[in-house]
This record gives sequence, structure tokens and C-alpha cells, in this order.
Amino acid sequence: MPEVVIPIGPQHPALKEPVNFRVIADGEKIVRLDLDLSYNHRGIEKAAEQRNFIRVLPLLERVCGICSHSHATAFAKGIEELMGLRIPPRAQYIRTIIAELERMHSHLLWLGVAAHEIGFNTLFMWTWRDREEVQDTLEEMSGNRVHYGMNEVGGVRRDLSASQVKAALGRLPSLQERIGKYVDMVNNQRTMLVRFRGIGTLSKEEALEFGTVGPTARASGVDYDTRRDDPYLVYDEVPWDVVTASDGDVFGRTEVRIGEIAESIRIVRHCLENLPEGPIRVNAPKTAPKGEVLSRYEAPRGELVHFIRTNGTDRVERVDIRTPTLANWTSVAHELVGQNLADIPVIVAAIDPCLSCTSRLTVINSRDKKECQVSFEELRRKKKTTWAGGGPA
Amino acid sequence: MAVPVTSLSEKLVNWARLKSPWLTIFNSGACNACDIEIIACLIPRFDVERFGILARGSPRHADILIVTGPVTLKQASRLRRVWEQIPEPKYVIAMGACGADGGVFHGLYHVMKSVESVIPVDIFVPGCPPRPDEIINGVVACLNLMAEDASHAGRAWRQKTRDRTGGEERKSTGEIYHE
Amino acid sequence: MNEPCSLDFVRETMKDFGTADQAGRGRFRIDTTPEKIRNAVNACRERLHCNRFIAISSADTPPVLELIYHFTGPHRAVISLAIGVPREAPVTPTLSDILPPAGILERQIHDLFGIEFTGHPGLKKIILNEDWPEGEFPLRKDWKPGPDTFYGGFREG
Repeated sequence: MPEVVIPIGPQHPALKEPVNFRVIADGEKIVRLDLDLSYNHRGIEKAAEQRNFIRVLPLLERVCGICSHSHATAFAKGIEELMGLRIPPRAQYIRTIIAELERMHSHLLWLGVAAHEIGFNTLFMWTWRDREEVQDTLEEMSGNRVHYGMNEVGGVRRDLSASQVKAALGRLPSLQERIGKYVDMVNNQRTMLVRFRGIGTLSKEEALEFGTVGPTARASGVDYDTRRDDPYLVYDEVPWDVVTASDGDVFGRTEVRIGEIAESIRIVRHCLENLPEGPIRVNAPKTAPKGEVLSRYEAPRGELVHFIRTNGTDRVERVDIRTPTLANWTSVAHELVGQNLADIPVIVAAIDPCLSCTSRLTVINSRDKKECQVSFEELRRKKKTTWAGGGPA
Repeated sequence: MAVPVTSLSEKLVNWARLKSPWLTIFNSGACNACDIEIIACLIPRFDVERFGILARGSPRHADILIVTGPVTLKQASRLRRVWEQIPEPKYVIAMGACGADGGVFHGLYHVMKSVESVIPVDIFVPGCPPRPDEIINGVVACLNLMAEDASHAGRAWRQKTRDRTGGEERKSTGEIYHE
Repeated sequence: MNEPCSLDFVRETMKDFGTADQAGRGRFRIDTTPEKIRNAVNACRERLHCNRFIAISSADTPPVLELIYHFTGPHRAVISLAIGVPREAPVTPTLSDILPPAGILERQIHDLFGIEFTGHPGLKKIILNEDWPEGEFPLRKDWKPGPDTFYGGFREG
């Protein structure tokens, strides 16, 4: 087996750290966690009630910067279901292509961030460089690297020209080769094996009980994937497989996510090669009939749920968004109890959080009730010294 | 009247600040797209480190503060505190449409009026989100601003120019970054 | 069991709690009351074999505040249990002891709608700022935002 030389590079402390929560600790061990979501609350659901269907889509796209197409598509398909619209097949294929490209860029992003959490900065650089290929494709197709704005109620707003399709297809083979290399790296490198295995283990029963979704649940053997269970877009026409693992730890989630990138490449290639001709939109009515719909979508992080209620006007009465990270939070809170403080960054990163918060952590020592502020950076450094010394004391 | 910089030690300090500015990044409730694009500046394709720019976590060592996101009510006091911890001379870059006036979140109930209502801003970088090259452009424009300010010994000259020309009074010493 | 759920089966199983109706492709909705919701959830999990909880959706439909609990299982159908909580006395029993993920969602709904969940271990503020005034529930229909908020309408002048 050829050896791969990995130079260990300098730190990048600017990496955004996720989530803000209070940790109640007994010495080094965590006793309880308390989540605080108010850092990122902007009042989007209330604002969405006062914008019509054209103006609400840019707002909903910006709920999250990494899965923006997920929110827009979930909303658009919910409204289309309420209106009883049938979208032309070309629009469905284009939506699927963008959705799977978004999944690829999100998983590559996660792989880089997770590698950074354990100090494996070279993998961070490599995955983000590959992610640039995906971003270039998305930029050619939609005009922006993030927040593509491809959706509207009734179809998509931009068409794919033959040259764009050709350029996108041309990038896929090299991406596929790189993904193969990452699979090898994950399986054979001692660094990632040691640091990801056995951390944050979630059994299948626990995953179901805590309502876990997405790759976090599939890594524990839970066989739920909204693209197969509640098919939307063209997932019932395109050949693809659900990727599961049985470990339930952070390593299993790495395997699932890398497997999903490979599946996404397959889906994108099939859709690009078989893109049907035809219109890209239908004229949607201005108002939606009264009703309610539960629109479920498999975002890169898990199942995203938009509960939409309309009242016969050109606005929604209520849109209730349940993001996948919120669904996975209960499992994190459970997994972290009893673990060391130094494991927090890896375990939180393993659910691929999209809570977009800053990184202050308040640690409350349960014995003497003293509080102290700790940053993820200090925890990461602590983790490295722990491992350098041969393991936790 | 502004005193021109003449002493050698002052010139040395100014040169060091310009040659290697340190950034700190504050996420004030953003959707994260701007933060991802900032991190994308570090990868080899855009490579902001060739300019000597380092992104440090701590505000006490920083020269430039980059603010992403519309400032939510919760983050407003924290943003102010972080800004106060940065030693002078400090510069603030407000990223994206959210930094300018709240962007698509303008006026929502849990969001402040704008970044400028909390801290004075020097550079606005337009975009939603701005591309990494546009971000690097904005940081370089900030460096040019720092150089100009250093030759005038401070940013007071910017305020005076505005008063002299009778421009409308602004709450902060902001300058719009133009392409 | 992987066979698809039929409307008659759902209707028959949940008839003690309310009437079941088809609510879109693959979704069944049962309207029940806050007193019966805990037993309804248990029945849903045991008799209808729903082993996965999806979400709690909330909406303000005057005169009640509506809460809808969504479940799914190997049969891939979605079962929605809907209850209406009166606005003047918005109280309903908590589900956080039988459904662990409901803990966080109930805290969020408490902040935004003002519904009290009796028996919840800690209904502290989770999604609104700690300085947010008490008694202001932003997502209720009768809550008016301040004069300088701008929600996407067109400004005159």
C-alpha cells in the first residue's frame, strides 16, 4: 500500500465555530447542556407572512447560507402542491441538479471542517479546493456561488444551455476520482481512525427515539431518507441508493457523507445526460387556495420540514420551518453527557450544524458553581494536547 | 490641523500594520454564507495569506474587524464589546447586503437597524454574499485607507473633509467602498 | 411492517381520539384535544407503528392556537395529530418526557406563541433575546411590530 505523506500545517483559527450553548460540567466531564438559539433568530417566519410568493423566496433562501436551495425548493414545492400545479420535467431535472450539487458542496465543506477540528488541515485544503469545482459549476449555472435564486413557484428561473451542461459534465470525472481518494484516506489513515472512532456513538434505538435525521441517523443504521420515503423532484426516476452505516459514531457519519457525495455525482451525471427538452416554468396563479401542506425535503444535513398554511391570498398564513440541526440537537445533548469537554468540537461538528452562531461556550462547574467562558479554540488545543499525551487521563 | 507623521518609530509601526494586518471576524447572526466565503479566502485558490493577512480569533490582537450578518438584538451588545476590545487604530469592514442596511432582513423584529447603529463602519463590501475576490478587494481597500489615515495621523481628516464640503452629517466616519 | 397505511386503518385505530382525514398525499390528520394528546401520541407510536417523530408545527388560527405533531414510521405515511389550544388560557400538557426532541421545540413555541406546557422541566427563553419584554409573543396574529419595522410591504412616500 503506497504511503501518503501528509504535512501538518499551521492552524486556521478563523474557522467559524458552531453553536452557542452552556455546558454544566463536573470537572472535565459534562453533566448537562443548555442550548441558546437567540443569537441567530431574525424573525423570518413572521416576515414571510407579509411577502407574496415572489418576494418571499429570496428571504427564505437566506435562512441558511449552505442549504439555501433546500429552503427555497421545499417552500416552492409546497405551494405548488397546494395550487395543484404540475411542473415541467425540465424544471424538475434542473432543480434536482442544483439540489445535488448543493449536497456535494455541503458535504465537502463538512469534511474540511471536520478535518480541521482534529488538526488535519491538509484535508481541509484539499476538500475545499474540490468544493471550488462544484462552486464553479453552480456559478456558471445560476450566477452566484451561494443563494442561487433558481426557484420560483411554477418552475425555475434560468435554463441550462448546452455549453453549461457540457462544462458541468466535464468536471465530474475528476471529482469522482478525488472522492475515491478520500474514501481511501478515511479507511487507511491512522489519524482520522483514532480521532473519529468511538466518539459520539448513537445507537439505532437512540437515534430513532431522539428524532435524529440525515447522515447522523443513517450512520446509526436508521434507514430513513426523505428522497426515497416521500419522493419529490425526480428522485423516483433516477437510479440512486441510500447510504447507511452501522457504527453510529463520527467515523460512520464520515463514511455516510462521503458515500452520499458519490451518489450525488451519480445523480447529477444522470440528470445532465438525460435532461428533457421543454419549457422551464408554468404560469402560476397569483394566489394559492386555502389549505395546509407539510413539505419535506432532504437537505444536506437531514430532513427539512416546511409546514405551510395558506388562506386564499397571495401570501402564506404561516410557514413553520423545522431545520435538521434542531432535530439533531437532542442527540448531541445526549451524546455529550459523560464525555470530556475537549470532545465537544468534534461531536458538535459531527452533526454538521447549521446554527450559524458564534462560539462562546459557558462552562459551569457543577461542584462550585463557578462559571468561566471558554472558546472552541481553547477546547481544540486542549484536545490536541490530550491526544499528544497518549489519550485522555 | 493634522500633524504629518515624521518620526522613524511611528513610520515603522505604520508599515508593520499595513504589511501584516490581523483580522478578527464576528458573526452577528448571519446566515453563514458570508462566513463561508471568508473561509474560502484562506484556501489556495484565493489565498489571502499571501498579502500577509492573518485571521486571528482574538479581538485584542486585531487591526481589522469584519462583521457579517445583520446584527440581531442578542448580538448587538456583544458586538459593541468586541469592538471596544480592539486597540486603536481599528477598522471595521461590514460585509454584504446585511452589513449595509440589514439586507433581506431589513426591519425584522429581532434585528437592529444596521451595523452602523452599533459601531462605526469604514468599508462596506457589497454582495450577497460577496465573492472571495470581492472580499479581498475590500480588505485591500481598507489597507489603502489605513495607509492614507496613517499619513494624516488618524482618521480625523476624513471627518473634517466632510464638514468642510457641507456634506450631510453622518453618525459615523463611514466610507462607501466603490469598485 | 412496511405495508402502506390506509385511511380506514388509521380511522379505526384512532377513533377514540378524533376523526381521521386524508390531508394531502401520504398524510393523515387527526384532530384531537389537549387532554387526550398524550394518549394519542402513545397510541400512534404503538398501534400505528410510528417510530420517528418529525416535528411540532404551530400556527395561530383564531380563535385557537394550533399545535400539530407529525410522526412517521416504516410504512412511510405521515400521521399528524392536531390540537387547538384556546388563546385566553393557552395551556397544554408537555410531551417532553415521552418524546425527548419535544423539549426544545416546546420551548421555542412557548417563546413565540406563549403556550404553557405543564410539566416541562424548564421553559426558559431559548429563541428570543433575554431582554425581550414579557407577554409579547411575536408570532401571534395580533402582535404588532414596532413602527420602524418593515416586513416587505411598500412604504408610502
